[in-house]
Amino acid sequence: MKLKSPVALGILALAVLGQGGINRALFPLWEKNFSPRKGDLRGLSGDQLLVALAGFREMIAGILWVRADTYFDQGNYDAILPIIRLVTMLDPRQIDVYATGMWHIGYNFTDEQSRSDRRYIPSALALGSEGARNNDYTYELFFETGWLWYHKIDDNYGKAVEWWKEAQEREDMQTARKNILTMALLRDGKLEEGLALYNTLLTDAEKKMADATNQDFQIRQNRDTLESNMDNLLVRMAQRGYFARKGGYEKEWKYDTDPPYDVGFSAQVVVEDRKILRVEGTWNVQPVGTRIRIVLRDAMDVNDPGFVAAGMDWDSKSTVDLDPEKDVTFMQDGLFVKNQAFYRRIDMSRDPTMYPFTKEKYFVEFYYNPRSAPPHIQDRFGFSGEGMGDKNYLNTEIREGQRVVYARLELTRDQILRQGEWASKTPVIRTVNFVPTGTSSQQEVFEVPGLRGAAAAPGQPGQ
Amino acid sequence: MNAILSIAKTTIGEAIRRKVLLIILLIGVLFLVIAPGLNVLSARSSFAVLISFTLGVIQLTGAVIAIVLTVYLIPNEIERRTIYTILCKPVHRWQFVLGKYFGAVGALGLMMLLMTGILLLVFKIMQPTATFDVLGEIARGPVFFFIQMSILAAVAMCFSVFASPIVNFFLSGGVFMVGTLFSPVFQDLANNQNLAGPVKMAATAIHTILPNFAQYNIQNPIINQGVTIQSEQLYYVGLLGYAVMYIAGLLIGAILIFDRREV
Repeated sequence: MKLKSPVALGILALAVLGQGGINRALFPLWEKNFSPRKGDLRGLSGDQLLVALAGFREMIAGILWVRADTYFDQGNYDAILPIIRLVTMLDPRQIDVYATGMWHIGYNFTDEQSRSDRRYIPSALALGSEGARNNDYTYELFFETGWLWYHKIDDNYGKAVEWWKEAQEREDMQTARKNILTMALLRDGKLEEGLALYNTLLTDAEKKMADATNQDFQIRQNRDTLESNMDNLLVRMAQRGYFARKGGYEKEWKYDTDPPYDVGFSAQVVVEDRKILRVEGTWNVQPVGTRIRIVLRDAMDVNDPGFVAAGMDWDSKSTVDLDPEKDVTFMQDGLFVKNQAFYRRIDMSRDPTMYPFTKEKYFVEFYYNPRSAPPHIQDRFGFSGEGMGDKNYLNTEIREGQRVVYARLELTRDQILRQGEWASKTPVIRTVNFVPTGTSSQQEVFEVPGLRGAAAAPGQPGQ
Repeated sequence: MNAILSIAKTTIGEAIRRKVLLIILLIGVLFLVIAPGLNVLSARSSFAVLISFTLGVIQLTGAVIAIVLTVYLIPNEIERRTIYTILCKPVHRWQFVLGKYFGAVGALGLMMLLMTGILLLVFKIMQPTATFDVLGEIARGPVFFFIQMSILAAVAMCFSVFASPIVNFFLSGGVFMVGTLFSPVFQDLANNQNLAGPVKMAATAIHTILPNFAQYNIQNPIINQGVTIQSEQLYYVGLLGYAVMYIAGLLIGAILIFDRREV
């Protein structure tokens, strides 16, 4: 049988038209479901680009991620940054790479005293935001980005709430992780919303328990945890006077947060040596473990909309830029309180790239936010600081709807670098109420007050 | 039909005996076998790394085999003059072209089947708890690579009726690269509202004519599990339909050219 040309040409025309039609119909589906999505590939070398573009993007991404692992093991953290960027460009659906990358950028770049370089945080947040956009079918990167706000930034809980609400909308959100949104809501001062969420989650958990054919331990545990947390919250709201204030009868009873307790904050900063600070001060609260935030940063106009007291504009980056601004100095640390005083030696001399000190003036800020405090401290200070006071440094302006402690001192570049007129003089700056505490010479003794009165003598049973 | 089958069987036998193809296959298999070594290096995302690497190896090896196998099929027959002993029998030229093509696809299928078997074996050894569902999911990647390579073989077959093997190697390789890389670009251009009409029309025409290899890269949801796929079955049926249409078009083109060629 000989193939006739008109028939062949007819079939050819049909095939060409048919494949063209199918191609046009299929392509949007491929782009939506299977494409690695469009990434900016400008960071790739020529050979990587060639292989990546030839349809092997996922393969190259996998190989690069193996390389990143080797660098993790070697502690070569700087080398991992470009790889994270490349892998996420090549295969923007690698959720683990986004999550690990955010954690790495946000937490792992530290100075010699283990303070992380917070100039990277805006980049980490931008990476999380990009990852969440590229993988909006799952809760994971919404959760991870929220976690960075909640745990690392540990101040603007409203942002954590925003991200976790987005995460909550995804069906795959793990049950145990759903509960954490309530914690963020409480820290954001949205008590009733938190309570309502506990209620919803508890109802869901009870329904799940009723539907479960076997009494799974985790289902029961989740339900019990929710009930216990909700009970605790109700008791705390009552004891901290929340309901009374809302009902307008707070004067009729004395609540745990009345009257506001004066924390008696004071501080002194001594520039002991070039880029080495000795910080000490008072905090009139007995329980051990409070951490007061100290920030040393470039001075700026406090009326500038970009100025955030004791923080920075964390959300400032919309694109992932792995190079922090090299001329910016931003040091943040926690001052650990024991025996109602704190003392810390902050050495920035060994990390010149992290602390470049390029500006003429610097702010030294002290900051305490009761919303970040543990529950036993909040029992006295209240959810938003309503039970906390300070004669000199209570501030109700820098954080809307909150009572925080905030003090700002100033140092010059010459003072920090001990140069010019300060080469032979020791710069000392202090709050007006500072009295020497002697904490620097104090032994490591923790005086823990007993709940029933005097502390027990060593070797003796408590009273 | 018997003539096509006989030519196809002979072609498979020839392909399996060709050392260059066996060496390419051996290299591919070697990479698949050492792939779990990457897991030791990658504590994080080990699943994604293993699967992305092994699927990439199968695709790359499949592409090289498809081109190397097909570019020589017809020119070799002409050069060795063995084509005369075939065409002097009651075998039409279209049967010869189809037989050669199906033989090439058969040999390619066997080699890709071997690599897929090794991939699944390696995966099962690395993840003993993996169920048949998971293995089936992974095998889906190579199945669509096979269809992709069948189109590539048809491209090479079409060129092989008029071009020398070396020219054909670069032509087919180029079409594969362009079809993988530029199909999405031309589609974007065709959909871009800011472009002038003629440019959009040209982009649409090129996008329609070029073989769209990119859409057979369905490995992303296999590597990054949990992605929700919409209209999945419909898409796969569409892919198969597209391949049948495109291959049919190319083979008819090849037959028409071969029919007019002095051999």
